[in-house]
Amino acid sequence: MSTKEKESIQLLQGTLDLIVLRTLATMGPQHAYQIATRLLQISNRLLNLNQGTLYPALVRLEQYGWIKGTWGKTESNREAKFYEITKAGQKALGEETRAWRRISALVERLLLEESWP
Amino acid sequence: MKHLRRIFLRFYLLFANAKVEAELAREIDAHLALLEDEYLRQGMSPEDARRAARLAYGGVEQAKQLHRDERAFQGLGQILQDTRYTFRQLRKSPGFTLTAILMLALGIGATTAIFSIVEGVLLHPLPFPHPGRLVIVGDVLEGSHCASCAQSSVTVPDIRNYMRDTQSFSHLGGYRQRLFELSGTGSPAAVNATRMSGEVFAALGVPPLLGRTFTQQEDEEQQQVAVLSYGMWRSRFHGDPNILGSKILLYRKPYTVIGVMPRDFEFPLNPGHVNQSELWLPLSLQPEEFTAGSAASWNSRMVGRLKPGITAEQAQSDAERVARETMRDYPAYMRSFRIHAVVTPLQEDTVAQARPLVRTLFFAVIVVLLIACANLAGLLLVRAIRRRREIAMRLALGARAATLLRQAIVESMVLSVAGGAIGLALAAVTLRLGVSLLPQTLPRVNEIGLDWPVMLFALGLALLTGLLCGLAPAFAAIRTSVNEALKEGGRTGTSGGGHARLRSALVVAEIAVALTLLTASGLLLRSFEKMRDVKLGFRPDNTLAALYVLPQQQYRTQSAIDEFTKTLLNHLGQLPGVEAVGITSFLPAAGNSWGISFTIEGYVPPKGAGLNMAAMSLLEGNPFEALGIRVLRGRVFTESDNAGSQLVAVVNRKMAERYWPGQDPIGKRLRRGLPETSTPWMTVVGEVDDVKLGSPDAETIPQVYQPVTQAVASEGVFASVGELSATNGWIVVRSRMAPEQMEDTLRAIVRKIDPQLPLYQLQTMEQAISKGEAPRRFVTVLISSFAIAAVLLSVLGIYGVIAFSVALREQEMAVRMALGCQRSGVILLILSSGARLAAVGCGLGLLGAAASSHLLRSFLFQVNPFDPRVLALSAIAMMLLALAASALPARRASSTDSVLALRGE
Repeated sequence: MSTKEKESIQLLQGTLDLIVLRTLATMGPQHAYQIATRLLQISNRLLNLNQGTLYPALVRLEQYGWIKGTWGKTESNREAKFYEITKAGQKALGEETRAWRRISALVERLLLEESWP
Repeated sequence: MKHLRRIFLRFYLLFANAKVEAELAREIDAHLALLEDEYLRQGMSPEDARRAARLAYGGVEQAKQLHRDERAFQGLGQILQDTRYTFRQLRKSPGFTLTAILMLALGIGATTAIFSIVEGVLLHPLPFPHPGRLVIVGDVLEGSHCASCAQSSVTVPDIRNYMRDTQSFSHLGGYRQRLFELSGTGSPAAVNATRMSGEVFAALGVPPLLGRTFTQQEDEEQQQVAVLSYGMWRSRFHGDPNILGSKILLYRKPYTVIGVMPRDFEFPLNPGHVNQSELWLPLSLQPEEFTAGSAASWNSRMVGRLKPGITAEQAQSDAERVARETMRDYPAYMRSFRIHAVVTPLQEDTVAQARPLVRTLFFAVIVVLLIACANLAGLLLVRAIRRRREIAMRLALGARAATLLRQAIVESMVLSVAGGAIGLALAAVTLRLGVSLLPQTLPRVNEIGLDWPVMLFALGLALLTGLLCGLAPAFAAIRTSVNEALKEGGRTGTSGGGHARLRSALVVAEIAVALTLLTASGLLLRSFEKMRDVKLGFRPDNTLAALYVLPQQQYRTQSAIDEFTKTLLNHLGQLPGVEAVGITSFLPAAGNSWGISFTIEGYVPPKGAGLNMAAMSLLEGNPFEALGIRVLRGRVFTESDNAGSQLVAVVNRKMAERYWPGQDPIGKRLRRGLPETSTPWMTVVGEVDDVKLGSPDAETIPQVYQPVTQAVASEGVFASVGELSATNGWIVVRSRMAPEQMEDTLRAIVRKIDPQLPLYQLQTMEQAISKGEAPRRFVTVLISSFAIAAVLLSVLGIYGVIAFSVALREQEMAVRMALGCQRSGVILLILSSGARLAAVGCGLGLLGAAASSHLLRSFLFQVNPFDPRVLALSAIAMMLLALAASALPARRASSTDSVLALRGE
C-alpha cells in the first residue's frame, strides 16, 4: 500500500453529493471532468478517487431533481455533458449544508471532550 | 418527494435501458477525450496520453456498472431480462406455450371458482358486526331422531322463558320463517317472511338502509309494522324512496312499512337462494300459541348476542338452567319430553351442513390442479432435456447455477401467471353463469363471488404453481453435466436418464390421483343410478301440484274454509281429462314434512327407542289416486269419514312393519302425542305403499294419513279453542293431458273462487322430484367432470413421457430392428414400459381411493366406498387409456426407417 493511499480520505456516505452540489452552486454549470478536477484541487489531491466514481453521484442527484445535465461544447470545442444545479438543488444544498454543519460540530465537540485528560 | 421521484425513475429506467446506456457511453467518451486533451497539453505522446486518461478515469466497465446499479433496480432488471428471454423462447414454440397456458388456466380457473364457494360459504365472516358473538340458542329434544333436528329449535313458551330468564345475552330473541300472502300492491304473491322478536334486530346490529327497525316494545304491543328486504323494495316497489309509511296487506291484514334493510342483509341465513326472507314482521306471540299443540311444537329458533366476557359454554349452562325450569313447568301432557339447551355459534349453525360438500369439491379440484401442475412440470422437463446442450454451453461459458435456476423459474412463472389470469377470467364467467345452478342445500350463496380474498388466492395459486412446476426443470438444468452433454451426446441412448425417472414419477403420481378421482366419480354415478332406481311410492307422471294458504282474515270459520275446499275439489273434478283430485298437507318429494309423536296401542318400545315419530298428512278428496299411491291393504278415506264419525287413519308399510311386525295393521289403534297426553284413539283402516316425502335418497319415514275433517277431533288436548283445520294444503291433480297444460286451468279455477288467493310453488310432480335430486346431481356432475379432466390430463402425461422416451431412443430402436428385432417386439417393448407406469399408478390410485373413502362416504347412497365393481372398472379403464396413449408412439417407433435413423446426426 502506497503512502498516498494511506493518506487519502475515505468519503462519508452522502458527502460526495454535498461536494458536487456545492461545486456546481459556486462554479456554475460544469461537466464531469471539470467537477473531478475541482475535487482534486480543493482536497489538495487528498481525495483520491477514480473520475468514473463520480457518475453514480451524478445520476443520483439528477434523479432527485437537484441537478440537470445538458449537452454542450467546451472551450476546446469538444462535446460534453454540462450539469447545472436546479432550484430544488439550491434549496437542498442549503438544508444539506446545515445538516452537515450540525453533524460536524457535534463530532468536533465529541473529539474535543475526549482529548481532555 | 425526492425519494418518490427517484423510485419511479429507477423503475422507468429499467425499460429505457438502451437509450440511457448510449448516453452514458457518449458521456464517458467525452470525458476520456477531455482527459486525453489535458495530457496532450502536458506534452505526452498521443499514446501515453490515451493510457494516462484511462488510468485517471478508472475502469470504464466498472464505472458503467456503478452507474447502472445507481440508476435502476438491477435485481428487477435481471428478472425483466429473463422475462424477455422467456417470451422469446415461448414464441418459438407456440404449441407448447398454448397447451401449458390452457392447462393451467383450466386448473387455476376451476380451483378459483370452487375456492370462491369455500370463501363465500365457509370462511367469510357473517355479515354482522362482531359475528363471533352471535349464537343460536335452542333445545335438543331427546329421542327425536329426524334430519331437521341437526339444528336446534324452540317452542313458543321456550322463547318467552329464555328471553326472560337467561342472563348471558345482551340481546336474545326468537324467530320463525313462514310463507305469507302479500297483496295490496300489484297482484297477490307468496313471500317468505320472518316473524321475529324486536330483540333480534338489536342482536344482529345491522342498521336499516331506510327508516328504522321495530323494537321489542312494538313487538309486544302487537304493532302491525314491516321491514322490507332490499330486493323486495327494488323489485316490488321499484325502489320507491317514499315507501316508508305505506301500507301492505299480509294475509289481508294491513301492515305499515317502517324500514328497508341494506342489500347484503340476510337473516335467517337459510340454505339456497329461493328461501331467503323478503320481509320481517314482529313475532307478536298470541296467547293461544302458549297452549295446547303449539306449546309442544319445536318450530321456532332463537338468536342472541353474548354479553361481553361471556363464553358460549357459560351461556349454555345458563340456558340449561332455564331449560330445566321449563321442563319442570311442563303441563301434564308433555311430562315425558326431555330437552337440553344448546348454544351454537351462528357461523357454525349456518355452515355445518354445507361443510362436507364444499370440502369434497375443493379436494377434488385441487387434485385436478395438481395433475395439471405435474403435466406442466413434465413438459418443462422435456424442454430442459431438449435444451441441455444449450444449458451445458452456458454453464461452460460461466453462467452461474443461480442464473439458470432463476431463468427456469421465471419461465414457468410467466406461463402460470398467464394461465392464472385466463383462469381468473374463466372463473368469473363460470360464477356468473353457475351460481344459479348451485344446490339449494348451500347457505350464503349471495356471498359467493370474485372478491379480494379470491383474487389474491388465484394470484397466490398461480405463483405457487409456477414455482412448483419450475423447480423440477430448474434442478434438472443445473444438474446438467457439462462434460457429458457437450461430448457428442446425440448418440448416447440413455441420455437424460435421471430426468426420465423424475418424469416417470410425475406420471405415476398423476395416474394415481386421477384414478382416485375416477373411482370417486364412479361411486357417485352408481349412487345416482341407485337413487334413480328408488321406488318413490307414487306415480309422478301427468300430475300437477300447487300450495295454497287461506288467509284467516277472510276465512274465519270452519264452514267458510270447507266451502272453499269443496267448491275447489268439485270444479277441478268436473274438468274434462281430470282423473283424480285431492288435497294433502305434505306433498311427496317436496321435502316439507315434519314428524309428530304417536302413542301406539299395545306397543312396548324397546329401551332407549325414543319417541314414536311419524309424518302426519291430512287429506281431503282423493290424493291417493291423484298421486298414484298404491293401496296395499284395507281401504282409503271416503266422504263418510268426517268430523262426526269414528276416527280413522291409513298408515304406510314402514309404519305397519315397525309397530305391528308380521301382523295385519287393519283395526289396530293409535293416537297423537305421548301416553300421558289425553287424545282419542284412531283406528287404522288401510295400509299404503311407502312414499318418499323428501329427496329419493333420503330415508323413508313412517307415515300416517288422516282425513283433514277429523284433525281437530283427534288432537284432543292439543287442540286450541276454535282451532280451524284445512286452512292450507297442496292441491294435486292427475289428468290425461300434459300437466303443463293444466296449469292455467288450475289458476283460473282458483281465481274464480277467490280472486285474491295466490297459488304457491305450482309445479309438476316430475319437477318436484328433480328438485329433490338436484343436490346429488350437482355433486355427481361436478366430481365427474373433474374426474374426466384428471383422466384426460394424466393420459396426456403418459403419452408425453412415452413419446419422448421413444424419440430419445429412436436410434436404439433402429439398431434393434437392424439386428433383426421384429416390429411387434418393438411395439411390445414400448407398450410394456407404458403399462408398467400405469400399473404402478393404478396400484397407488386404489390406495388413494381407500384413503379418501371416509370423505366420500356421506355422499354415497346404497353403494359401498369399496364397491369392487367400481374399483375394478375404474382401474381397467385407466390401464386401457394408458395403453392407448402409449400405443401411438409405439407404432411410430416400429415404423422407423432404420437406415435413415442410423444415418441421422
